[in-house]
Formats: sequence, C-alpha cells, structure tokens
Amino acid sequence: MNAFYLINLLVYAAVDAMACLGLSQQFGIAGVTNFGFIIFQAAGGYAAAILAMPPDSANGGFQRYIGGWHLPFPLPWLGAAVVGGLLALPFTFLVGRRLRGDFAAVGLLVTAVLLNLLVTNFVPLFNGDAGISLIPFPLQSVLNASTQAYQWVFTAVALLLCVGVYLFLRRITESPYGRSLRAMRDNDVVADSLGKNLLSLRTGVLVLGGAIAGLSGGILVSYITTWSPAAWGYAETVVLFAAVIIGGAGNHRGAVLGAILVPVVFEEVTRFIPSSNNLPPNLIPSLEWVAIGLLIVVFLWFRPQGILPERKRVIAWPAPARPLTAADADGAGAGAGDGGAGDGDATATLAARAAERPVERPGGPGGGQAADGAAGQVLLQAAGLVRDYGGVRAVDGVSLSVRRGTLTGLIGPNGAGKSTLLAMLAGTLPASSGTISYLGQDITGMPAFRRARLGLVRTFQLASEFKRLTVLENLLSAVPGHRGDSLRGAVRGRRYWGDDEQAAIARAEQLLERFGLREMANRYAGDLSGGQRRLVEIMRALMTEPSMLLLDEPMAGVHPNLARRIGDQLVALCHDGMTILMVEHELAIMDEFCDPVIVMAEGAVLAEGTMRQLRARSEVVEAYLVG
Amino acid sequence: MSLFLAAVGFGLVTAAVLAIAAVGFTLQFGVTDVLNLAYGAVMIAGAFLAYVLNQAGLSVWAALPVVIVACSAGSVLLNSRIYTPFKQRGASPITLVIVSLGVTLIIEFGVQALAGGTSVSYNLAQGPTLRAGGLILTAVQIAIIGVSLVVMAGVHVMLRYSKLGKAMRATAANPALARNCGIRTGRVITTTWAITGAMCGLAGVVFGIDAGSFSPTSTDVFLVLILAAVFLGGPGQAYGAMLGAAVIGIATEVSAAFIAADYKYVVAFVVLLLMLGIRPSGLLGARA
Repeated sequence: MNAFYLINLLVYAAVDAMACLGLSQQFGIAGVTNFGFIIFQAAGGYAAAILAMPPDSANGGFQRYIGGWHLPFPLPWLGAAVVGGLLALPFTFLVGRRLRGDFAAVGLLVTAVLLNLLVTNFVPLFNGDAGISLIPFPLQSVLNASTQAYQWVFTAVALLLCVGVYLFLRRITESPYGRSLRAMRDNDVVADSLGKNLLSLRTGVLVLGGAIAGLSGGILVSYITTWSPAAWGYAETVVLFAAVIIGGAGNHRGAVLGAILVPVVFEEVTRFIPSSNNLPPNLIPSLEWVAIGLLIVVFLWFRPQGILPERKRVIAWPAPARPLTAADADGAGAGAGDGGAGDGDATATLAARAAERPVERPGGPGGGQAADGAAGQVLLQAAGLVRDYGGVRAVDGVSLSVRRGTLTGLIGPNGAGKSTLLAMLAGTLPASSGTISYLGQDITGMPAFRRARLGLVRTFQLASEFKRLTVLENLLSAVPGHRGDSLRGAVRGRRYWGDDEQAAIARAEQLLERFGLREMANRYAGDLSGGQRRLVEIMRALMTEPSMLLLDEPMAGVHPNLARRIGDQLVALCHDGMTILMVEHELAIMDEFCDPVIVMAEGAVLAEGTMRQLRARSEVVEAYLVG
Repeated sequence: MSLFLAAVGFGLVTAAVLAIAAVGFTLQFGVTDVLNLAYGAVMIAGAFLAYVLNQAGLSVWAALPVVIVACSAGSVLLNSRIYTPFKQRGASPITLVIVSLGVTLIIEFGVQALAGGTSVSYNLAQGPTLRAGGLILTAVQIAIIGVSLVVMAGVHVMLRYSKLGKAMRATAANPALARNCGIRTGRVITTTWAITGAMCGLAGVVFGIDAGSFSPTSTDVFLVLILAAVFLGGPGQAYGAMLGAAVIGIATEVSAAFIAADYKYVVAFVVLLLMLGIRPSGLLGARA
C-alpha cells in the first residue's frame, strides 16, 4: 500500500520533471514561449497508446481509435517521442523571424484549445471525450504488471529516463549552441544580425522540447493506462509554466524542483483534504487553479528569477596571460568606475594590436575576391533604396557605394533616415524597393543572418548586449563557424568543440585586452556602464571576423576620451583592410576619422566628399544646421 | 437556401456579440499595449454577475448596467494593480501575457469556486419570433444586434470626433510622442481600460444570452473567436475588429450549418493561424 503510493509519486515526479525540463529549455533557455506545450505531451500519450494497443475491433468495440498496431515495448515510447517532435514542425512558421513572441504564444495557446476541442468531438480519432483506456503496461504480455517488483522497475526506468533528459539538456545548454539559444532569448534581432539563424534555432528547440514532452506523455499513459482530453486542457500548460517559473526558468535543476513543488505537491496535497463534508463538489479543484494563477503572478512579482536562478557561466582564462601592463590595469579600473571613462593610453593598446585579425574569413564566400581586392574597389553598393513606414517615406531613393578599406561616415540631421538606411543594408529591415549588392552579389532579399555570414555585420544604436550573458559569453556568441554551435556539434560534446572554444577564448581575450575590458570578462553584460556596453558591442561584432562593419553611432553617449580611442581603433582596423560605414552625429568625429563622408537629409543623399569639401558647400551646412 | 439564411441569421447574432468583445479587446491592446488574455475571464465574470442578479429577481436587461460598471471598475483595477506595476518594472510583453494567463485562472476558477462547475441560464423570455426575407430571429436576438450596432456607432463617434478618441489613437500610435504633445497618456490609458472593461461586461452578458447556457469556462473557446476577429482586422484596429467580427461570426455559423456544429470554431482557428503566419498586422493594419 505504502510502496504503491511511493511508486505513484515517483512516476508522476519523473513525468512532470521531464515535461518541465523540456519547457524550461524552450522558455528559459531559448526564450520561446510555447503556450501549447501540453499538446506535445498529449500527442506522445496518444501515440504511445495506439502503438501499444491492439486494433479497436479487438476489444468488443467499446472504444474507437485509429491505429492499434500492437507493437512491443519500447517502440510505443520511441514513437511517442518521435510524434511529439514531428508535431512541432507545423508550428515553426509561427516562431520565425517575423512574428512577435507574444503573438506566437497566442497562436500556440489557441492551437492547444482547438486541438482539445477537436479530439473531444471527433470520436473515431481517439475515442472522443471518454478517451482511450486499457492501454497496456510495457511488456505486459510477458511480465506480471501487477507485482510490486514490476512497478519498481517501471519507476526506475522512468526516473532514469528523466535523468537522461536532464544530462542531455545540460550538455546542449552548456555548449556554444546553448549559448546561441540564450543569446537569441536575450535579443533575437541582434542574434540575427550576428549570423544566427533564428528559424533554425527555434525549430530545433521546438522539436527537441516536443520530443521530450512526447516521451513524458508516453511514459505517463503506460502507467495510468488511460488518456483523455480532460487530462490535457490548455490550463495544464499553465501549471507547467508555473512550475518552471517558480523553480527558476533557465536553470534545469530549477525546472526539476518546480516540477516537484507544483504539479506533484498539488496533486498530493489535495488527496489529504477530506471530501466527505459539505463542500460544493467543484470547490477544491477550482481553488487549486486559483492558487496556480496566484503563484504565477506572485512569483513573477517577488522572485521573477525563480527559487534557483539561472547560473552565471564563469569562464576561467585558459592559461596565465601576459602580466597586465599598468596602462591596461588603469584603463580597466577606470572603466569599471563610471560611464566607460577608460582613458588608458590608446597608443599602447594600438601598438599591441597584432596583425592577427584576419581580413577575410577563410573559406567565406567572399574569400577569393578579398585576396585580390585592391583598396578602393567598391565593396557595398546601394541603388535607389526606398523605405516606407506607413505613409512616411523614411529613405527616399538612396544610392551610394562604399569602397574597400575606407572608414566612410554617414551624417545628417535627426530623421534623415540614417539608421533606417543602415538597417536595410544589414537586412534588419526589408527595403521597400531598390537593390543592394555586396562583393558583387545581389543581397537585397537576403536575411540579416546570411549577410552577417558573408561578413557584413552591423551594430545597433540602442544598447543591444545580451544582458544575461557575461561579457566574454557575448563575445564568444558571435564566433562564426564554431563546431559546437549546432545541435549536432553540441551533442558530440566538449571533446569535439573544445579546441574551437579555446581558440575563440584566446581571440576574445586579445580583444578584451585591446579595449581595456579584460577585468569585466565574467561580469553580466547587462551590469556594465553605457560606454562599456558599446565597447562590448563593437568587440562582439569584431568577433564575427567581418569584412565590413556597419556601425550605428558607436560613440553616442560615450566619454570623449573613450570615443577617441574607439575612433583610433576603427582607423587601425581600416588600415588592415576592414571596411566601415559609420553613422555619427558628432561632426568633430567625422572631421577626425572619416573619409569620405556621406551627408543625408530627408531620406536622400545630399552630398559626398571629405569633410573639408562638405563644409564649403552651403546646402550641406544649411541642411545640417537648420534640419 | 433557407438553411443558409437561417445560418446567416445566427451568424449575425454571433457577429454582434463578437464585435462588442473584439472591439473592446483590440482597443485595450492597441492603446495600452497589454495583450490581456484575461479578457474572456472578465467577460464570464460579468455574465455570472448578471446571473446572480437575475436569480435575485432582476431582469437581465436591468442587471446590465450593474455588470457594465462592475467590469469597467474591475478592468481599471486589473490594470492599475497588476499590469501597470509590472510594466513599470520593465517586464517584457511576454511576461505580461503570462501574468494575464495567471489572472485568467484566478478569475475563471474563482467564479467556478463560487458558482460551481455546472452550466447556468438566464430567466429571459425570447420574445416573438420575427421572419424577414428568410432570416428567422427572436426579439432578443434582434435586440442584441441593435445593442451591438449602437456600441459600434458609439465607438466610431468616439474615435473620430471626440478629443478622447483622438488622444487614444495618438497614444496607440506613439505613447512617448503623445505624452510630449501634452496628452495625459496615463489618464487616457485608465479611461481606455474603463471603456473597454465596460464593453467586456456588456459582451459577457450578451454572450450569456446568446449562448443560452454557459459555464465558468465557456469563454475559453469564445476567446479564440475574439482573437481571430482581432487578428483578421489587425491588432489594435477598431474598424478591423468590426470587420473581423462580421466575417468570423457569419463564417463560423454558416460552417456550423454545413459541416458540423462541433467543428464551427475550426474556421476561426484557421483564419487566426493564417493571419499570424502570413500577415500578423491584419487586413487593415499597416504593412509590417
């Protein structure tokens, strides 16, 4: 009696923990809010049922269902995982680049409500509202499923599978691929601009979470031997969300803790409430739901990070690096103090920059051209670019070309369309009309992440660091072609991608030292000052090994000393073959660093030339001063 | 043909109920930027309040003003006590949606705890049945359509001609700019919650009348229709929601007559997913 109670408890804990792990991976790690999560568990449950059961004619026709293949264990459980994963594929169109996260969540929620309604009403599918019962235990034909020994083995297998899921997800999450997922969670537009394929990342996480949910459903139905629409109402997803939020989204141990605290405890506690008195029949279950709702709201308010918050990933430097020079220490120290006023000696760091920066990514599509690409050759060209916002034409027929190795400035009054132009060049915004070519290739319709992979990388006007990644992780997240930055690579483990990681860390270290942020490497990027965050963003862009940078006001809000340092670094990069197009407001910066300079006003290019030439032209001065 | 016309008649009534709910929802979202999934829960709470008053001897129509005031006040409180504090802390839109789901559970199952889980109906005479050109409607159904038309006209006048309506549209377009232009956006948002809350209460009661019988979880599926109507027209677009309500209301009832009543929501569901996938800004929304 007692043993069976314990078995019951453990099986439920394993199933709920598994589901919460899958949800935590989607919601906490990848930032995909899947309000339809329960339908994947439901699908796994039905799949396991109809794979294991005999045809419905075999049991006197008291229940109807499709399938009935009567397959031996463990095929039903495998099938449950496969069906759960495959079910995710139709939903990938909801989670691509274009749709807001909350709209996608609504789409999934509505799907959950509707599928439940359909399965309830369409009896031939899974016996409708009454549900399927008499689902066989695993190996029930050869073993006696009613013995305690059998039940214990079942429990052990369920728990082992749960541990397996935990270890598997940990392996993925702690890999460069997991880092990309977390980067996408923190800011998907930026991840896109750094070459992350959001659709593929989200598809991966939906399929993986779906498979885990499906497996949990398969185990559950094999234990309780029945499955009906009442068991997977949309609100069950909310219970799992409550568990993950309370336990700690983004922390897999938190997900397990939440699974034990919320679904299991709720199930068990109500068992001990006497039902013999005069309470209305629905009172206790109703109040349970009210309590779940209250828990969500209260936890999101008082402890949004959950009981076990996401762990900080501290990466130790591989080997003791060269001792810090006084200038470096000075710069870092000052940077820590306030708004990035690190005024360490710029020339020292400039001198320190080695020629290690590759001009072109080896094997990149532009690699061949770059080798013989003489300075002065046109790298990026735009023709007749137009962008409409509703009725407003923000960019009105801009044509420009940027030559290799130049630091081209883009100035103009507020509202001139500079940032919009930059966004179209980078692919963050689609152009309403016009063409863009890069390295002689038409890239007008190419998504941002593909342009980034060609070496055309942008930064943003507003702070765009990945807040819950450390500075070092921010840099590492941008590394292109990392062996561990794919699901397959992540599964193969550190032994497979460790070397790439060490190389990336070494490069990041050099950059951090050059920009005087070495001491900040293991701080959360979201905790830095404004100026330091700009530096992180520039370093992160450099980590992609770009051949062309599009910088949107990289020095806005930065201390003048630091701005000068950034400018010197950019000039040095261009000397090494990098091409930069930089939006700036500050004419002094243009004077000092940029040549040529393009002037925009009211959505069009007004003039182009050196600052000296431009200052001589009255219409330019007028537009700038009057506009 | 008569089956078709009868279905269209039902569709008109559903569209009328849906229009009140959807326009309220879309204004709430457009002006305040909260995707309040608890809207359906507030509706059903209103419907049950009317039921309690109805049981106490009041006619449903007499109970209506009480429900409207209660839902309006409740929505204002929901915003000022829950959503606004979360927003002021910088909570993301998706966090607010999760909070609104939590609130949905609290309200819906709070109602169920008080009312029990069974379906209830109003004491309401349907009145004489009227036939015109193949349409068959009861007096009550015609009253629902009439109420809805009056509300739609009111929304139109408010948005087009009143100062408040213009302030609402300005706040929806760009809250920061609106504030800088001297519009008291805080007050506009509170007023919007009051107005949309009132529409939500009204929608709840007419939903209860139209449905015949309802339970505390009845609006779960009705929320799908609301969302479909809202996204068809474009989230935040009041006229879009009117158009969406008309299309979805009639399409669901006509499909119910010709396919099967159990699957009538499938049309709305398909419309919603298609809009989300292909054109999330809606038919009347600005191009993304």
